[in-house]
Amino acid sequence: MSVCIRITVNGLPEEVSPSATLADLIDRFREMDRDLIVEHNGRFVFPQDYASTGVAPNDRVEFIHPNFGG
Amino acid sequence: MLTEEEARRYSRQVALPEIGVEGQLRLAAGRVMVVGLGGLGSIAAYYLAAAGVGYLKLIDRDRVAVENLNRQILHSTFDLERPKPESAAEKLSRLNPHCRIEAVHTAIEDSNAAALLADCDVIFDATDNRETRQVLNRLSLRRQVPFVYGGISGWEGMASTFIPGRTACFSCLFPPHAETAKPAPPPVLGPTAGIVASIQCLETIRLLVGCVPQLAGRLLRFSGLTMEFRKLQIDRNPGCPVCGAPAG
Ligand SMILES: [Zn+2]
Repeated sequence: MSVCIRITVNGLPEEVSPSATLADLIDRFREMDRDLIVEHNGRFVFPQDYASTGVAPNDRVEFIHPNFGG
Repeated sequence: MLTEEEARRYSRQVALPEIGVEGQLRLAAGRVMVVGLGGLGSIAAYYLAAAGVGYLKLIDRDRVAVENLNRQILHSTFDLERPKPESAAEKLSRLNPHCRIEAVHTAIEDSNAAALLADCDVIFDATDNRETRQVLNRLSLRRQVPFVYGGISGWEGMASTFIPGRTACFSCLFPPHAETAKPAPPPVLGPTAGIVASIQCLETIRLLVGCVPQLAGRLLRFSGLTMEFRKLQIDRNPGCPVCGAPAG
């Protein structure tokens, strides 16, 4: 059994599996927006890298919803 | 040379070291295509005309509706049913007769975008949807013209400046995909539009006078709920299907 690690998602503390990828987190937090922007430790992550980007203890992940109104 | 009237009209901004007479003359020679004359475009067109940008091409396919008036402050109750470009042009030419306005009541698409852009120096995005922004992005890349993006939703907004060949493009950030259903228009508060459009105007003025745009390669986000601004660096996406940035 792997022990969960603590990270921050959208400013709130969360416990996730140490093997979790950004794609897993998008799934778990039900981020359905196809235009979602993901910020990982202050860096913008390309969508094609979600599945291969893991998280480490104390990482900060932000899910940003685009603003397309005018 | 500025006329005596122009020197007085613009004196408070000519006093800025980044602008000066030189910068003011560059603004007068500047040509901006403003796409959308709603919440963002109302503010954008007003400030750009007031600042002395010499030519504005105003594009919108809509007519003024009463539910626009909580935020689209270029239009008034007397303008209901008028094409937005016509309503806008009337106010702007009253505001600044030195500014040449061209009002085009049409939808911008890939087929007419290049002709509409003609020789404009900046593409100012004041549209209200993702698809039109993809059209503007393709136009920006094809014609190598900077694209100043801004978008709002409720209390929040974001802006970025895309410089072809130098920074990420709109599609590096939002890869194209077929829209499943047209999303419902988001709630919008006037001042949010005002803040985001004002930021876009600052970027546009910087571009026209030759200052470095501060949002090139960066996404600025504003929240009116927390009153916070945050900036995120956006690199070119090597997998971008639109600007095709080379890997590495
Ligand atoms: Zn791109």
